[in-house]
Amino acid sequence: MKFTSRHTAAVVGVTLVAAALTGCTETAAGGGGETAAAEGCAPEDVTLVGQVRNESNPYEASWLDGGDAFAEQVGLTQERLTYDGDSTRQQEQISQLLAGDTDCLVMNILPNGDSDTPPIVEGAEAAGAYLVTQWNKPADLNVTDYDYWLSHLTYNGVESGKQIGDALSEAIGGSGGIVALQGILDTGAAKDRFAGLEESLAANPDVELLDDQTANFSRAEALEVTKTLLTKHGDDIKGIWAANDDMALGALEALQQAGRDDVAVVGIDAVPDALTAIEDGTMTATVSSDGPWQGGIGLAIGYCVATGELAAEDIADEDRAWYAEQFLIEQDNVADFVSPETDEADFACDNLFSRSQGAMS
Amino acid sequence: MTTSPAEADTDVVHAQRPRPRRGVSLMDAGPPIALVVLFGVFAAMSPGFRTFSNVQNVLDAAAVLAVVTCGISFVLMMGSIDLSAPGIMGASAITVALLVANNRNDNDLGLVGVLVAVLVAAALGCLSGLALVVLKVPSFMATLGVSAVGLGVATLMFAGVQPNISDAMLEGWAVERFLGLARLTWIALACVIAAWLVQRYTRLGRYAFAIGGAEEVLALSGVRVAPYKVAVFTMAGAFYGLAGVMVTSQLGAGLVQAGRGFDFSAITAAVVGGTLLIGGRGGILQSTVGVLLVTVLTNGLVQVGVSPYWQGGVQGLIVVAAVAAAVIPQRRRNQVTK
Repeated sequence: MKFTSRHTAAVVGVTLVAAALTGCTETAAGGGGETAAAEGCAPEDVTLVGQVRNESNPYEASWLDGGDAFAEQVGLTQERLTYDGDSTRQQEQISQLLAGDTDCLVMNILPNGDSDTPPIVEGAEAAGAYLVTQWNKPADLNVTDYDYWLSHLTYNGVESGKQIGDALSEAIGGSGGIVALQGILDTGAAKDRFAGLEESLAANPDVELLDDQTANFSRAEALEVTKTLLTKHGDDIKGIWAANDDMALGALEALQQAGRDDVAVVGIDAVPDALTAIEDGTMTATVSSDGPWQGGIGLAIGYCVATGELAAEDIADEDRAWYAEQFLIEQDNVADFVSPETDEADFACDNLFSRSQGAMS
Repeated sequence: MTTSPAEADTDVVHAQRPRPRRGVSLMDAGPPIALVVLFGVFAAMSPGFRTFSNVQNVLDAAAVLAVVTCGISFVLMMGSIDLSAPGIMGASAITVALLVANNRNDNDLGLVGVLVAVLVAAALGCLSGLALVVLKVPSFMATLGVSAVGLGVATLMFAGVQPNISDAMLEGWAVERFLGLARLTWIALACVIAAWLVQRYTRLGRYAFAIGGAEEVLALSGVRVAPYKVAVFTMAGAFYGLAGVMVTSQLGAGLVQAGRGFDFSAITAAVVGGTLLIGGRGGILQSTVGVLLVTVLTNGLVQVGVSPYWQGGVQGLIVVAAVAAAVIPQRRRNQVTK
């Protein structure tokens, strides 16, 4: 029974997409050719959609909260979508959205992986929905080849890996042994962040990398791996570099269980527990991409273009695919990040790209 | 089996009577031998591996997997598959984190909270069993569904803010040691013994075996099989629930993903230990040997210094080799699983 209804839904979905596609081609053929934001939508007609993997991840939940904050700022509400890290579900949700009224649709999307981005981009382009993506896209997919894919923003993992590497070196006094907990080895984030650590090590020759292991971005795996590394290297370990905060927190638990409080730990992502640990002084540093800002900015870019306040053609090429600013958090500035709030000024149409650190290379 | 016939004869006479199973066959001896060999190889290669503190570490690291595997072994003995561990563990992890002293609410139920979490998990396990016998959903799908339900329940309770526990007892389980081992390790040992007693001395355990061996025969002899199947899944759920509580104790926080990956690592451990996927063979002790094998392997590869880029592949190869070695005497029977 479930099967039938799914089947029907799929058929209806395909039909609707097909209808939408025909609609588009007809207008184009008719010469009406509505180019991006030619006439502009009335602000109240804009539909705002934010989509992330799941709300059980504090970072992604704060992203959607930031989207809500922006929506409230312009008197709208954001539709919050989550797909549980399931690529198929993400595509289904997008198809359903695009099958509806797409005239003034603005989507701020976190694609599940690089390969999930192209179908989303193609779908939005065909349906004429304004799209901003973050974090994941294939390197050879150019935003400038599309009219409705307004912008893609991500963070320079090499930079953040280096930032926390340097903070760790400083915390252990510039010399001593450290171990690294890598993320899922075949992801770009893990590779870039580790490359950043290697840069930092090159600049701090007295710091020695004793071991590097993967804990797959997972707190539980990091706990086990750290325990093993602690028995392997013992007191030689002065610091632990983790490619994300979840692993850093797992490492902290392992240190606590081993009765060690002389080891500095750094991570990336600025999840709430890590901030608490930095406040307590048990953890040294983390890096924030500012989730709430990410949730707001994608919608803001789409909204400004949809309402005609910003013409899509006026977005400079270097702002179509760019690195956004990230913030190193240590004990002295952690208070500013404990309850992050969005700043309305960041989302003003003439200020959208103020956090750019340059075009993606 | 070509050793002195006299010795073999006395063995058979003793072993055949009480139980239909053969005595210590090659199949049963394989995994323990593999464990000893693996341990020896790593100990020879790495001075860090053969330290006392690392042996402690291996045993502590095996605790959670051992409890999950206790549960899954009964299901495998019946010839069913259980993929519900991640969901059930997630639900119990969040439940217990919200019921003991934590940063989300004012609850402070202590041991009662642990009990409730295990009961919630048992209820979810019971749901799998009911779906199997009442709705005739294959166990593979039923348990996958229940896992999703568990994750859903956990996500709802999670509500965006991670519950961190401050309950002294639960945190102590992971930190405090008794005779050199963490309390969690003793809990796991107690579970293994309890599960073994159930398997050996109760009707539930024996029927689980019999269902996996020849369900039709059992049914034809007038045994109502269905209630036992539900009971086995309920018991498995309770074990997963306890494992979820243990993960919460280790991590100091209730995570929705507390059980991620435990379904397949537990099945792997059970199979490596000699529990057959078609049911009717193996048991708790065999599975526990499998758990130790898997844990020693994970730990040893790090101690020896195998690059993380190679570890996944090397680990997979060794596991396949170990299973192959264990089941060679059983090849014909194993073919059934394709």
